[in-house]
Parts: sequence; structure tokens; C-alpha cells
Amino acid sequence: MVARAVYLDYAATTPVDERVAAAMAECLERDGHFGNPSSTHRFGQAAARRVAAAREQIAQRIGAGTGSITFTSGATESDNLALQSVMLANPGRHLITARTEHKAVLDTAAALARRGVAVTYLECATDGLIDLNELDAAFTDRTALVSIMHVNNETGVVQDIEAVGERCRARGVLLHVDAAQSAGKLALDVARWPVDMVSLTAHKIHGPKGVGALYVRPPLSLAPLLFGGEQERSLRPGTLPTHQIVGMGAAYALADPAREGPVLDSLRQRLWAGLSALAGVRRNGHPTRSAPHVLNIAFPGVNGESLRHAIGEIAVSAGSACNADNPESSHVLNAMGLSPALAESSLRFSVGRYTTPEEIDYVLGRVAAEVGRLRQIAAGAPNWCKS
Amino acid sequence: MEYSAEIQHRLSSSSRCGGLQQGGEGVVTTEAEDRSLNVWVRFQVQLQRGSIRSVRFEAYGCPHFVAAADWIAERLEGQGVAALREPRARAAYAALGVPTEKLGKLLVLENALLANAQAADDLVTQ
Repeated sequence: MVARAVYLDYAATTPVDERVAAAMAECLERDGHFGNPSSTHRFGQAAARRVAAAREQIAQRIGAGTGSITFTSGATESDNLALQSVMLANPGRHLITARTEHKAVLDTAAALARRGVAVTYLECATDGLIDLNELDAAFTDRTALVSIMHVNNETGVVQDIEAVGERCRARGVLLHVDAAQSAGKLALDVARWPVDMVSLTAHKIHGPKGVGALYVRPPLSLAPLLFGGEQERSLRPGTLPTHQIVGMGAAYALADPAREGPVLDSLRQRLWAGLSALAGVRRNGHPTRSAPHVLNIAFPGVNGESLRHAIGEIAVSAGSACNADNPESSHVLNAMGLSPALAESSLRFSVGRYTTPEEIDYVLGRVAAEVGRLRQIAAGAPNWCKS
Repeated sequence: MEYSAEIQHRLSSSSRCGGLQQGGEGVVTTEAEDRSLNVWVRFQVQLQRGSIRSVRFEAYGCPHFVAAADWIAERLEGQGVAALREPRARAAYAALGVPTEKLGKLLVLENALLANAQAADDLVTQ
């Protein structure tokens, strides 16, 4: 089998769609919309119109009004803005989140805890879903905010945001949702969702890195974390990166979950059908409450780092790319009850717009071969290596 | 993480991975593990007239760990039994370009060989 480079790490990031790149390029050079969108002259206003159009594209995709979209540098900043703004404005109050959240939420929660905020971390079941009864029990009369991600970046597990939101609404508690993995895969409709803030990003759906947004449901008003200008109604000052914002808008306009979701799911099912034929492999995460593009698989008896190296021409992740250099095992898989060995033996495959069935078949052949070989190298390994 | 060409070669085509005939004459089998480091190794050493005739290993661990096991096994063959007691981790670490944070894993290989040396002594005294 001739080695070929295959990218199956779309949950980490995606290549910019050529149509997005073309839109971005229109905002870079002298003959393009390069002006500062805050400038009042014609160059600035031309750029401002592009920004406004992009804001509209994003708002339409998620069912929001344009005035509720604030551009940031990405979902990590959006998470920080949401959590810190709400909790620092409510001293002595209480935050509820989950152990399976992205580090952008967990580390922000930890930082808030060091500043005196009470934080409750919900556990999850072995399938990755939070227990709504545990959420009910976690509310106190001081709870100000709940932060729960829509789609888990490592496992693809989809939380029941409607159910979480209903509980928050009933208690007058704000709900923040990290939807970085959702756009383009699952329908987002903040008009229907009982949510107050939603973090968005561009680079997971073929937009550029370095730009995201925070949806804030009116009339909720947040305090800024940065100071130094009046851009974005002073909530997020700094010269707007027109080209990145335009790229994000174009990416959101192109991302159609109704059309792309089933295609992604079909590719993922093809991958799972092949991998599940290997002895002992197990899927991490709920089998049906799952975003269509992510598949997290444990290969018992196989060292994960060695497997990733052995299939080096195939791009996959051990959990989150954000944690790629961290020798500690996945906090998400640990929270789901996997042993350290099993968590370390797990790989995240994620399909995307440019994945083909032929690539899936190639990956299946290579993974099967290397899993077999590595298991042979560790043939006599004790049970703790396999469970 | 970057892996040296030798690491890649030894992981993909290890020449001494596998087992010797269980219970064969002069075969000593020992294991070592460290669950906190997620590694396990089994060395089988065939001894003949005070020398190491063959070494085979099985290993569960990262590419550096497997490659180091293979590197050590290769260098032990033809040596005297006393070679089993010689520290090998540092030499493997240097030869294979193992990241410093993985040196602890290589010490597990030494532990298995030290156990093998003791077992070899026991075999001789029987």
C-alpha cells in the first residue's frame, strides 16, 4: 500500500475554503477593502460594509440578530469574555460547568475560582453526557451562570442544551454554550435555544484561524475584558480584522449542516464500520447523541503514541490539539471513566468537507495493519494495558 | 513530537521483537512495568556458556520505549552475562535522541534486565 497523506483531524482545524480565501483576499491589498472599518472615509466605510455583511451572514446561520454578534479572536476569547464578564460582575456568585469542557472554559473557571468564585464541575456518565439531575442539584440561590459546550471537541458528544437551558431559565440563571464544534455540523438556532451566550469560531468550518464571535442575547450587557477603543460597542476594542471577519462570514454562509451533516455522518459511519471490525476496539462517547464528524476510538493493548506514529501519514489526534503536547491523558476521557491506559490508547478521527470514501478505506487498511503489528509487539502485555 | 530516523526504523521493523521458545534451554524471561508511565516490557534472554546468545523482547509503550528495547536487545547479543547488569538507559537515551522527559521509561528497561541478570544467576546456581 503506497503511503499517502490523509487529513482526518478536521475537529482540530480545517483548510480555508477557496471561496472563503477569495473573499478574504478582497480585503487585503491596495485595490481591495483594506481600510480600517472604524475610519469614516470611503476606504474605511467600504471595509465597514464588508464587516457588516459578514456579521449578517453569521447571524443568519445561527438565527440571531446582527446586533447580538461581537467579533473576537476566537472561541477561546469568547469563552473568556462570557465567563469572566458575568462572574466578575457578580462577586460571590456561583458558576456551574462540566468536567468535560474545553480547557478554554475549565481554565477560565479555575482562574475565577482563584478569585473567589464558587465553581461546581458536573460529572458525566461513561457516555459523556452530563446528568441533568446532577445539574438540578447543583443550582444554588447564588448561581449566576452555567457553561456547557454543545459538542465535545474530543468525543463529539452532543449535550442536551435545550434541557439545560430550560432549567437555567426556570431559575433565572444565565446559560453560556461553547459551540465551536457545532457550526456547519449541527443546526444552531439561538432564537429557539434557551441560551444567553454562544461562543463561535471560524477555523473549524473552513474559515480562517484567529477570529471568532460571541453571541449575546439582548438585553444582556457584558463588561469588557480589554480596553482601548470603541469597536464592537466597546465590548471588544481593537481594530477589526476585516479580512478575517469577512472570511468567517463567508465560511458561515457556506456551512450548511442540513446538506453537509449527512455527508459527514456517512463518512464517519464508514470509518466506524471498518474500525469496529478490529478486535476489542471501543467507541468513546454516546453512540447517537454525537456530532456527525467526530469519532473517538480506544484501541486496547495498543500504545496510542506508537499508533499515531505508525500511521504518521494520517493526521488524527489524541484528544484535543490544544493538549497535544501535554503528557497527561485526556481529561475528557478520564471524566468518562476510561482508565489511563485506555484513554492513552484512544484516537480522535474527525472527517470534513474534503474527506473522501477512498481516504476512509485507506485509513482503515493502515490502521488495521498497524494495530495488528503493535499488538504483536506487545503480545504478552498484562491486562492493565488492555483495559 | 519529532522522532529520529532510527526511532522510526526500529518501531517499524524491529528485528528482535517477539519471543524465544518458552522453556527452551538457557532461556530466562523477566518483565518490568510502570503503570504511571504506561510502559511494560518483557525480555527473553538465551544464555549459552556464560554468554548472551539471543535476546528477544515484547513491549507496550511509546515509540522511544519500543525502539530503546530493540536497541538494547541488539547490543546485548554476544555479550557476557554480566552485561545484563550494565546501565543501558543513558546510552539508549543518547543514541536514539530520546526526549529527557522519557528517560524514566528507559529505566524500566534496565529494571527488566536487572531482573534477568538475577534470574540468570539463579539459573547458573541451580
